[in-house]
Amino acid sequence: MPDPDEPRPGPDTSVPRPSLAEIAAQLDEEAGQTPPGAPVAEATTPLKATRVPQGAWLGGVCTGLAAHLGWPVLLIRAIVVGLAAVQLVGAVIYAVLWLAMPIDRSPAAPGIDAATRTGMRTQTSVRSSDIGERLALLLLGVGVALLVQFLVPSWHVVPFWPMVVFAVGVALVWRQADSLAPRIGRRRRMRAVVQALLGIAFIAGGIVLTVARGFGIQQLTTPQWIGVMLFVVLLAVAAPWAFRTRTALTAAREQELLANARADVASHLHDSVLQTLALIQRQADDPKAVAALARKQERELRQWLYGESHEADTIKAALETAAAEVEDDRGVTVDLVVVGDHEMDVRMDALVRASREAMLNAAKHSGADRVDVYAEILDESAEVYVRDRGQGFEVGSVSDDRMGVRGSIVDRMARHDGTARIRSAPGEGTEVWLRMELE
Amino acid sequence: MTEPNTPRPSRQRVVIVDDHAMFRAGVKHEIGPLVTVVGEGSDVESAVTTVLGTTPDVVLLDVHLPGGGGIEVIKQVHEKDPDIKFLAVSVSDAAEDVIGVIRAGARGYVTKSINGLELVDAIRRVADGDAVFSPRLAGFVLDAFSGSIDISAVDEDLDRLSQREREVLRLIARGYAYKEIARELFISIKTVETHVSSVLRKLQLSNRHQLTRWATDRRLV
Repeated sequence: MPDPDEPRPGPDTSVPRPSLAEIAAQLDEEAGQTPPGAPVAEATTPLKATRVPQGAWLGGVCTGLAAHLGWPVLLIRAIVVGLAAVQLVGAVIYAVLWLAMPIDRSPAAPGIDAATRTGMRTQTSVRSSDIGERLALLLLGVGVALLVQFLVPSWHVVPFWPMVVFAVGVALVWRQADSLAPRIGRRRRMRAVVQALLGIAFIAGGIVLTVARGFGIQQLTTPQWIGVMLFVVLLAVAAPWAFRTRTALTAAREQELLANARADVASHLHDSVLQTLALIQRQADDPKAVAALARKQERELRQWLYGESHEADTIKAALETAAAEVEDDRGVTVDLVVVGDHEMDVRMDALVRASREAMLNAAKHSGADRVDVYAEILDESAEVYVRDRGQGFEVGSVSDDRMGVRGSIVDRMARHDGTARIRSAPGEGTEVWLRMELE
Repeated sequence: MTEPNTPRPSRQRVVIVDDHAMFRAGVKHEIGPLVTVVGEGSDVESAVTTVLGTTPDVVLLDVHLPGGGGIEVIKQVHEKDPDIKFLAVSVSDAAEDVIGVIRAGARGYVTKSINGLELVDAIRRVADGDAVFSPRLAGFVLDAFSGSIDISAVDEDLDRLSQREREVLRLIARGYAYKEIARELFISIKTVETHVSSVLRKLQLSNRHQLTRWATDRRLV
C-alpha cells in the first residue's frame, strides 16, 4: 500500500512482530471469550426423496415421502393402502417408488453409521402402537377393496384377491432383498431365508390363483406352466437385487472419486506444506530464510487454491515465473502487478528476459528487500516497470560491472526495437522502464 | 489528512473480522499499541452484530467469510449504518472478490502480508475518509477499466477514468507512495488523495460497460 511518510518502512519497524508463542498464548487467553464462528447448518428439505429406514414397515417409502413432504406418515400410509385396494394401484405405485427412491444414508455420523453396519446399534423395533395402526390400515384396505367390488362389480381387469396374494409375496421377497436392516446373527439370517421362501410361495400361489380364475387350469400344459411360473418368480425376485447392485456400483464409483480427490489433497499437502514446514523448523534461526520459504509456499498454495490456470504461453505467466525465480534465488520480495496480457513471441521473450535481469539487478545491488514490478500490456505496446527503493546510483558514472548488466537489459531491448530507460540517483532507488511496441 | 506525520489526538477504534482466530490475534497484537481494537467477528453474523454494537471508526474485513463473505457484512451493516468504513484485508487475491468487496463499499484493499505500521497507516487513511489502494488493487482496477480508452465519448463521463486518475493508478501499481506520486506529477498529496477517492467512487458507482466487459472477458458472468 502507498505510504506518504517515507520510503516503505522495512520489516524492522518499531512495532515488534509477535512470536508464534505470544500469539498462541493470546489465543488460549481468548479461547473462552471469543465465540467461535459456528456455521449453523440449516435444516433444509432434501430435494430428492429418499427412503427412510427409521420407523419403516416395509421399504421405508412412506416414511421417506412423509419426511420429504412434511406430512404425517399415517396419512400417507392410509392413502397408499386405500389406493392399493382399488385395483392394486397403490401397490404398483409403492413398488415403483421402492425401486426409484434410494435409501437415505446421509444423516448418521461416521461412527454411528459404522456401528449400524456392524450391528452394534439397536434398531428401532416395532412399538405396540404400531400394531394398532397396522390393524387399522389392514381393515381400511380390506374395507375399501370390498366396497369397490360391491359398487363397481364390472372392474375385473385384474383378478383382485389373487393379485393381493402375489403382491404380498413380492413385498416379502423385496423386503429381504432390501438391506434396510442389518442381518447379523443366526436367527436373523434364518428369519430372512424363511421370509424369502414364504414370499416366493405367495408369489407362486398368487399366479396359480390368477391363472385359475382367468383362464382355467386345464388350458395350459405343464411345461408352459413351469415356464410362466419361473419367469414371473425370477422377475419378481431378481428386480430388487439387480437394482441394488446397480446402486451399489454407482455408490462405489462416487466413493472412489471422493477417495481420489482426498488422496490428491493429501499428497499435495505432503509435497508442499509439510516439506516447507520441515524446512522452516530446520532453519528457524534464520528469519530471512524462513520468510523466503513461507513466501514461496504461500505463492504455490495460492496458485493451487485460486490459480487462474492461465496458459503458460503469455507474458503474464512468463513474468510470474521470472519473479518467482528471482524471489527464490535472492530472498527478496517481488511484488508483481500485471494489467492486460499478450501471447509470447520472440520479442516478448526478450522483454521478459530483460525484466528478469532488471529484477535480479535490483535484488542483488540495491540493498532493498522488496522489488515492485508493474507490467501493462495494452493494445499497442507492452511496458514493464521494475522499481526498488535501494541505494541507487549515478546513472552517468556506471562501473564496468554495471555496464555489463545494462548491456543485458538495454542492448537486448534495442536489438528487438524496444526501449529501455534507467532512472536512478544515489539514495533514491532505481527504476527500470522497458517498452516494446506490439505489431 | 494533509500532514500525515502528526500523531493523531485520538486512537482509531477498530473491529477485526476474520474467520481465523490466529490471524485476528496476530493483527491485534501488531496494531494494538497504535489503535484500539474494540471487537472481533468470525463470521457474517457475529461481524454485523459486533460492528453495529461498537460503531468503530474502521472495520478490517476479510474477503472470504463464513455466511456469505465480506460483501454480505458490508451490505448488512450499511443498511443500518452507512457511515461505517471498511478496509478489506485478504489473502485470496482473486480479482473478482477484491473488486466485488470494493464495489460493495469497502474503502480500500490490502493484502495480509502487509506489516503493522503500514496497516495502521491504512486504517488512519480510511478513517479520514480516504481510499487505500495497494499496487495489486490498482492493477485490478486498471485492468477493469482498460477497455475504456478506445471507446471515447460513447458513454457518460462518470464511468471513465480521467487521464490523471489513470496516471495516479499506474504509479500506485508501480509501487509509488502518495508522496512520491505527488512529486512525480507535480501535484499535492491532497490532490493525489482526491484522485484516488474519485476512482473509488467511480468504481462503486459504475455498474456499466467496462466492468461488465471485464467480467465477461474473465468469464465471471
